[in-house]
Amino acid sequence: MRTLFTALTLALPLAALAAPSLVEVRVVPPDINLSSKQDSQSVIVQAVYSDSTTRDVTAQAQFSLADKTLARLEKSVVHPVADGKTELTVKFDSKTLTLPVKVEKSAVPLAISFSLDVMPVFTKAGCNTGSCHGSARGKDGFHLSLFGYDHEGDYGKVTRQMLGRRINLALPEESLLLTKSTGAVQHTGGKLLEPKDDLYQTIVRWLEAGAPADAKDTAYVTGVEIFPVQAVLEGSGASQQFTVRAKYSDGSDRDVTKIASFVSNNDVSAKVTKTGLVTADKRGEAFVMARFDAFTVGAQILAIPKESGFSFPQVAEHNYIDTLVHTKLKKIRITPSDVTDDATFLRRVTLDITGLTPSAEDVRAFLADKDAKKRDKKVDELLERPEFTELWVMKFAELLQIRTDNNQFLYKSVLQYYDWLKDQFARNVPMDQLTQELLTAKGGTFSNPAANFYKVETDVLKLSENVAQVFMGMRMQCAQCHNHPFDRWTMNDYYGFAAFFAQVGRKTGEDQRETVVFNRGNGGVRHPVGNRDIPPKFLGMDGGTPAEGQDRREVMAKWLASPQNPFFAKNLANLVWAHFFGKGIVEPVDDVRISNPPSNPELLDELGKRFTDSNYNFKKLVRDICASRTYQLTPKSNELNAEDTRNFAKGTIRRLRAEVLLDVINQVTVTKDKFRGLPVGSRAVEIVDGRTTSYFLTTFGRADRGTVCSCEVKMEPNLSQALHLLNGDTVNNKIQSGGLVAAMTKEGKSNEQIIEEFYWRSLARPPTQTEQTKLAEYFTEAKTPADKAVVLNDVFWAVLNSKEFIFNH
Amino acid sequence: MSNQKPTWCNSADHSFYTSRRNFLQVGALGTLGLTLGDALKAQAYEATPSKEGKAKNVINIYLPGGMAHQESFDPKMYAPIEYRGPMGTIKTKLEGVYFSELMKETAKIADKITVVRSMTHGEAAHERGTHNMMTGVRPSPALEYPSFGSVVSHELGPRNNLPPYVAIPSMTANGGTGYLGSAFAPFSLGSDPASAGFKVRDLSLPSGIDDKRFATRRSMRATVDEHFSKLEKTDALDGMDTFYQRAYSLISSEKAREAFDIEKESTKLRDEYGRNTAGQRMLLARRLVESGVRFVSMTYGGWDHHDNIKRAMENQMPNFDQAFARLIRDLDERGMLDNTLVYVTSEFGRTPKINQTAGRDHWPKVFSIVMAGGGVKRGYVHGSSDAQGAEPENDPLTVSDYSATVYNLIGIDPERRLMSPGGRPQAIVLDGHVQKDLLA
Repeated sequence: MRTLFTALTLALPLAALAAPSLVEVRVVPPDINLSSKQDSQSVIVQAVYSDSTTRDVTAQAQFSLADKTLARLEKSVVHPVADGKTELTVKFDSKTLTLPVKVEKSAVPLAISFSLDVMPVFTKAGCNTGSCHGSARGKDGFHLSLFGYDHEGDYGKVTRQMLGRRINLALPEESLLLTKSTGAVQHTGGKLLEPKDDLYQTIVRWLEAGAPADAKDTAYVTGVEIFPVQAVLEGSGASQQFTVRAKYSDGSDRDVTKIASFVSNNDVSAKVTKTGLVTADKRGEAFVMARFDAFTVGAQILAIPKESGFSFPQVAEHNYIDTLVHTKLKKIRITPSDVTDDATFLRRVTLDITGLTPSAEDVRAFLADKDAKKRDKKVDELLERPEFTELWVMKFAELLQIRTDNNQFLYKSVLQYYDWLKDQFARNVPMDQLTQELLTAKGGTFSNPAANFYKVETDVLKLSENVAQVFMGMRMQCAQCHNHPFDRWTMNDYYGFAAFFAQVGRKTGEDQRETVVFNRGNGGVRHPVGNRDIPPKFLGMDGGTPAEGQDRREVMAKWLASPQNPFFAKNLANLVWAHFFGKGIVEPVDDVRISNPPSNPELLDELGKRFTDSNYNFKKLVRDICASRTYQLTPKSNELNAEDTRNFAKGTIRRLRAEVLLDVINQVTVTKDKFRGLPVGSRAVEIVDGRTTSYFLTTFGRADRGTVCSCEVKMEPNLSQALHLLNGDTVNNKIQSGGLVAAMTKEGKSNEQIIEEFYWRSLARPPTQTEQTKLAEYFTEAKTPADKAVVLNDVFWAVLNSKEFIFNH
Repeated sequence: MSNQKPTWCNSADHSFYTSRRNFLQVGALGTLGLTLGDALKAQAYEATPSKEGKAKNVINIYLPGGMAHQESFDPKMYAPIEYRGPMGTIKTKLEGVYFSELMKETAKIADKITVVRSMTHGEAAHERGTHNMMTGVRPSPALEYPSFGSVVSHELGPRNNLPPYVAIPSMTANGGTGYLGSAFAPFSLGSDPASAGFKVRDLSLPSGIDDKRFATRRSMRATVDEHFSKLEKTDALDGMDTFYQRAYSLISSEKAREAFDIEKESTKLRDEYGRNTAGQRMLLARRLVESGVRFVSMTYGGWDHHDNIKRAMENQMPNFDQAFARLIRDLDERGMLDNTLVYVTSEFGRTPKINQTAGRDHWPKVFSIVMAGGGVKRGYVHGSSDAQGAEPENDPLTVSDYSATVYNLIGIDPERRLMSPGGRPQAIVLDGHVQKDLLA
């Protein structure tokens, strides 16, 4: 069949139409570990083709075991026979792969456990969800912990509550727990299990064993994996089976595919069955999540229509960013837009790096420059401007909530804190150092302004949430009350992380206005379940126990801002990316979670890795981004990428943020503003206090730094903005007081020349011939110089009210 | 499926299982060829589409701080002095119904309004209570809910060239769009109609620019904009265009602009409403809804009377009383009361007992709100508090039921769900029931 297809397509001249060839075969999981008599592991074989599509070829692959006395095969499932090590060989088409098989305790039947076997049934069947028994007060008198965060509590409720009526050890199948679940007796939640189901049988086995409680040393789940991590399915109906494996604290693992819960975030493109079989439908991207125990893991599904004739054009790749972006685009069969022209590039990159527009002279010089490397050179030049750091100081001032607060946070402190931050950026202090200095800050807030970090927020839980959100892009709030349903975080993680901040002490300094931050050396946080003191623990990984007498924050900061913490560099890289593309690879930037996956995980990983390798060098990262072809694309879409908004296949159009818009209006009209504590003519970007604002800035959505949320900066247009630009005093007055028209008229410039100048300085381009012609018509009735000045001012007004001016594109 | 009162924690939207069909669905929209139509088909909500209900116009008078129910609509005249407080009472137009002595005018129109004396919730902090009353949903750590006004703006859109949702003088806490897009934010006046020379900012042309010159400017702007508009279209650009168009219609429709011009009201009527913030804000609110604004939210005073409640009430209540009574009569005289819902709310009531500083502290367990017009009964007292004004005694009105009732009157199905970021559909009311007793 395949050869026939190849023969047919050979007749066609286009190479793109040749049948995709097999590139790679993946066999997952990468190793097989069987550790009890009942254990088994399903294996999945995925073929990857040259057009980036994948196929589930498990059924077509040939499996063979090197030593059949140790294990046996049932289709693609490996079962134990005797202890030892062997290999599984998988053959598909021209490819052959082997993976190690380890069999242990093959004669030992696995004892049934409440937490490891029974509780997953509750989750899989949906018993412990928020709308059912997992609700805060339970349902119909039966309360289970939400998604099973409290093993011991649930055991008590099942076996002890209601005088033990829920279970019947003499006649297990008569237990209310089971008769309810099968709908044999009335159950508000309906029928959830069938007696023949494995899930049902698991509970029966547990009851037959006498409904034992777990031994103290029962292993617990330490992580969950899903295989394969990605599938590119071509054509409606194409499917891929997934397998889920849990790892336990005793080093063992289990195939939990049958008892994990699956969910797709986009059923229109990919549906998933209860057993993890994903079927593609409409074109689109989906994310399939599997939940087991407290863990959620996800895999990316790209559903693309069966079509021939797609060919990815020959486009240059300026650097690794383009390679990774194009890899994704090829998979989803989208082509990137063209590269934007020099003038648009210059305006875009100048606005993004410095928060100002290029001057008319800059634009002209840039257009005249014949150097092939002029764009890269321009980026380097802009990065050396002080405005570059000022922009990022502003962004971090928002994250650190630098603002006055009645008598709590005086202007003096705000100014010191801001200056400290500015100094850090000006000296290009690597981000890990800056972060560590903030997080471990102690002493008086006057002598060490970084200590203000602990003055802004004094609540332990809130403080730890802020740290997670600002430095790792994570919203931990959900896990305060229950295990996060869409993420990996458990209450243990939440309180374990909060514990790092539990010993921060604060007292009033000699100067009444100063706060002294110190390490109290005692105190902790308590878990709401069991009210036990939780020791500090890193988020998402082991470790974090401080040495005797060590400041807990030091342990945390050293880990948080380091390569050991995978979230730190990626979060910052994403933050920077979002600034230049108007959208993060994870979006919103401060909502990293399993169920909100990055649109291009490989890209984010690489950005994070390189950022780390460069010793957290901000400028290097910005340079890479701005030099990429991806950054330099025109917003003009092509047929294939018109609908796409997540894969950076075209330039993004973004409204200028409040401060930048005001600064740019001042710049092009040659006028000045005055902000509190700053000399006349300072830019809005340099505002020290979050509370300093103006009607213009507030209307255009300036962050008042009240919270750390990225949503503080409002980029959405509104009616007041339109009214203000049309009728308000900003544009109208500044055109007048700047006196640009008068000055240029005095220089003897013609109307056309003056209009051209407006265009150059505001839009970084000359007016088109059509525009000049149309605008010239407005002068027909202007007889006197005064009349002409009016028309010219109005043209300027029109330029400043144009979308081309208000947006970066 | 359930007969249990949901909270945020057990609402379907908060859980993984029941909402999983919808979970994040539209989050993936925007990638590839998935169209909005596809996504909407997949959602299939059962709620009825919104259309103008009995209350074609809405005025929400919000009294920030937490107005004491005892010193306003629910005096405890037979309670011991420490509960009764320092104020006397006045007989109203309704047989056996008394208001606080300062509500002389409101007493005379008691036959036109409904007083709910059994409003109840559990949030004793200002911001949380405000969230309850402005959004109709209890505050959640994970999501900010849209205000009633923003939902109305989202569901029903503009009318007569006017913005659908206006805030006088500016947006209150929780008066915003919550998880809805900012296109549904209120148009904030930015200045107070009671101040001398009151003008809504940027509504009228700057001095020196007449209509003719503005028309020229407009056409110049079209010329300059054309080049770029031809190049690209995106949501953000469309949004800006929408607001420019709305601004143009506002600026160029004298009638629409006049809606904001309080000077156009007769001196006599302005005096009768009262030349103060209560009077002029209420008058402007009436003027705006009469012209076509769908939802006006206004605030008056500060009612957080921890100290000397008598003096504070004597300062603030008479103006409210005069304005509110005049507003109701004015609407009635114009034949607008039956299609204009006026509701007076506050984040909570105040403690049953007078405290050491002769004031009262926060008390959400029971307090009073007022609803009038727009399909609400005339001359009715709903529910009651106990003898000390401490707990609801009859027919408690929960936040969810209050919210369901308000939406129902406006013509928005309380079952309706709106899309929050990440594509999670959110119920606008958490299991509320329309309180039929309140309806005319």
